Amino acid sequence: MNSILVRHKWEPYVWLLPSLLLMVIFVVFPIIVVFSLSLSHISNAGVVGEFIGLKNFAAAVTNPAFPTVMANTGIWVVAVVGLSTLLGFIVAMALNANFFGRKIVRAVVVFPWATALVVQASIWNYIIKYEYGNLNNILLNLGIITNPINWRISYQIEFMWECGVGIFVTIPFVAFTCLAGLQSIDAVNYEAATVDGAGFWKKLRHVTIPLLRPSLTISTVLNIIYVFNSFPIVYTITKGAPAHKTDTMVTFLYMLAYAEQEMGAATALSVIGFLILAVVAGAYMMISMRKEEAR
Amino acid sequence: MKKTVTLLLGILMLTLACGTALAEPYPLDVIIAEYGPNTREWFLGAADGMGNGKNFVQAFEEANPDVKLNLEVVSWNDLATVVATRIQEQNAPDILNIDTFAQYHADGLLLPASDYISDELMADFFPSFIEQSTVDGVCWAVPDLASARALYYNKAILDEVGVEVPVTWAELEDVCDAIVEFYDGEIYPWGVDMTTDEGQAAFAYYSWTNNGGFVDVEGNWTLNSDANVEAVEFAVGLVNKGYTNPNPATQTRYDLQDMFAAGKLAMLIAPNQLPTIVKNSGNIIDYGLASIPHNEGASTASAGVMDRIMAFRDDAADQVARNAAIAAFCEFFYDPANYVGWVTMEDFLPAVNSAVEAMVAADPGFQAWLDVLAGSQFYPTAKGEWADVKVGVIQVEQNALSGGDVRALLDELQTKIAGA
Repeated sequence: MNSILVRHKWEPYVWLLPSLLLMVIFVVFPIIVVFSLSLSHISNAGVVGEFIGLKNFAAAVTNPAFPTVMANTGIWVVAVVGLSTLLGFIVAMALNANFFGRKIVRAVVVFPWATALVVQASIWNYIIKYEYGNLNNILLNLGIITNPINWRISYQIEFMWECGVGIFVTIPFVAFTCLAGLQSIDAVNYEAATVDGAGFWKKLRHVTIPLLRPSLTISTVLNIIYVFNSFPIVYTITKGAPAHKTDTMVTFLYMLAYAEQEMGAATALSVIGFLILAVVAGAYMMISMRKEEAR
Repeated sequence: MKKTVTLLLGILMLTLACGTALAEPYPLDVIIAEYGPNTREWFLGAADGMGNGKNFVQAFEEANPDVKLNLEVVSWNDLATVVATRIQEQNAPDILNIDTFAQYHADGLLLPASDYISDELMADFFPSFIEQSTVDGVCWAVPDLASARALYYNKAILDEVGVEVPVTWAELEDVCDAIVEFYDGEIYPWGVDMTTDEGQAAFAYYSWTNNGGFVDVEGNWTLNSDANVEAVEFAVGLVNKGYTNPNPATQTRYDLQDMFAAGKLAMLIAPNQLPTIVKNSGNIIDYGLASIPHNEGASTASAGVMDRIMAFRDDAADQVARNAAIAAFCEFFYDPANYVGWVTMEDFLPAVNSAVEAMVAADPGFQAWLDVLAGSQFYPTAKGEWADVKVGVIQVEQNALSGGDVRALLDELQTKIAGA
C-alpha cells in the first residue's frame, strides 16, 4: 500500500522530468548565462571580461535611442496585440457562422500565420516598394493613381506599415484561438438568452465574451510574448532605420550586439526585456484569473 | 623468451603509435568570408572549384599532406557573429578572413603577421595596404583582396537630357536638377546608400572629396571638422532636394546597383564589380566611368576597401608546427597560380604585385582600376575605435536624414570617440 502511494507521489515528476530537463538546459541555463553576461565586460571582439556591476545596464538605458525604442516597443505591442485581438475576434465570429465554403475560408485565413514571418515581411516589403511595388503597380494599372506613391515617405509611416504587417500576421492566431472557444460554448446559453429577449449585442456582451474570456486570456498573454519578442518584421522592413527610430527592443538589442558590437549593452537590454515581459505577462495572467475566480 | 617477445611487441606498438602520431596532419581551422556565389565553390565545391579539377581545400591538402584544413565559408551577414561566438567559447579559428582586425588586436588575440608570412611574401603586398594593418610598427593582418569605388553614369540618360558628367558638387546638383526636370521624377539622378550596410562609405565619399575625412595626417579623429559637416549637409541636401533614391536609410548599395542595372538610376558611386552586375541583369546599359565629383577647392578621391586574413593566437602545444601550417596556407593561397583565380572569381582587385601582371594580361581594362586603387583612400581600420566610428557616422547620416543638426550630431560623435 505504502509503495503504491510513494509511486503515485513520484510518478508525475518522473513523467515531467524529460520536459523539465529540456527546459533547464535550453531555457533556464541560457537565462542564467545572459544574466551573468549582463554584469560582465564584453569587448568588441566578444571576449568576456571582469564583473562590472550595472555598467552595461547604464550603457543601455543612456543610449540616445533608448527612449525612442521603448516608446516604439510600447506602441508596437499595444497596437499589434490590441488590434489583432479585436479583428481576430471579429474574424472568429464570422468563421463560426454557418456559410457555404466555410472550410476553404478557414484554410485561407490561416495562411498568414502558417507562413514564416520573414517571408511575410519580405512580401510586404515588395508590395509597398516605390519603384516596382505591387501596390503601386495595381493602383497605376487600375488608373486610381497616375504617379507611383512613396508608401515609405517617412519613418513614422514605415513604422505604421510594420505594425500593420504585425497585425495582419497575428489575426489568424487570435481568430483560431477564439474560434475554438466559441465552438465550446453550449448553444443552450444562447437559447436561454434568446428566450430572455436578448439581441445580438446583449448575447455578445453577456454570453459570448464572458465565456470566451479563458481563450482571450491565453491568446492575449501568448501574443504579448510573441509580439514583444518579434524580430523578423521590423528587421526585414527597416532594420530599425533611420538611426533606431523604427526599432523595437528586440531589433535594437540585435543591432547593438551584432551591428554595433555593443554586446554588453545588448545583454543588459535583453535582461530588461525579459523582466518587463515577465511582469506584464504575469500581471495580465493574475488579473484575468482573479476575474475568472470572482465570476 | 617470453619477456623478450613482450619487449619486442612493446617496442613495435610504440613505434607504430609514434608513426601514427607523426603521420597525423595538423588540423587548421579556417573561416573564409563568403564574397559571392563563387566563393564556396572555389574553396569547397564538389568538383573543379578552382578550374583545375579540384577545389582549394583538395588542392591545398594535396600539396601540403601534413596539414588538414577544416575550412568553413561563412556569409558576411553572420561572419562577425560567428567569430564573436567562437571567441566567447574560446574556440577562435586559426585563420580568419574578415574586413577589420583592430577589435581582435585590441584584445591581444592575434599573432603578428611576421610569425606566418615570409619576408618574400610580405614584400609582395602593396605597401599602402600593409600600412593599413600596422599598429606601432607591427603588422597584424594581411590583405586578401580589395575593391575601389568610382562614379558610374548612364550615358544614354545623360545624353538624352543633354548634360555632361559632373566634376564638381555644383555641377552634380545642376545635372541632378536637369534629370529630375526632364524625366519628371521617373529616373533617380543620384544614388545614396546611408544604410547600416555601408553608410560609412557615403561619409567617406563626400568628406574625402571636400578635403575632410575621418582622421587628420597625424591620425587623430576629426569627425566634426567643418569640411565633414559641410560634406554630410551636402549629401543630405541631395536627398532632401529629391535628387536621389527616395529611401537612403533603407535602400542598400545592392538596391542601387539593381536600379542602375534596370536603367532607373542615372549615376552612382559603385565598386568595380558593377559591370558584372549589369551584365548579369540581362539589361543593356551603356555606362561610363568617371571620378567621384568634388567640392570647389577640393580634389576628387576614390574609396578603397580591403579585407584581410589574420591568424589567432592559440595555446597549441607545438607553436612552431602551428605557425608552419598557417604559413603553408598563406603561401599556397597567395601563389599567383591560385590567387589570380580567387581574385578574378568575384571581380575583385589584387593585394599582391605578383598577381597584377597576370590579371592585366587577361583583362587590360583592369589597369584602369588598379590606377584608381593606387590613388584610393582607405578607412582608418587600424584604429581601435573604428568599429564605433563606422556605426557613429551612419547614425549621424540617418539622424540628419530625419532632420537632425549635422554639426551637433558630429560634435557629439567626436566627443564620444575622441573625448574632445
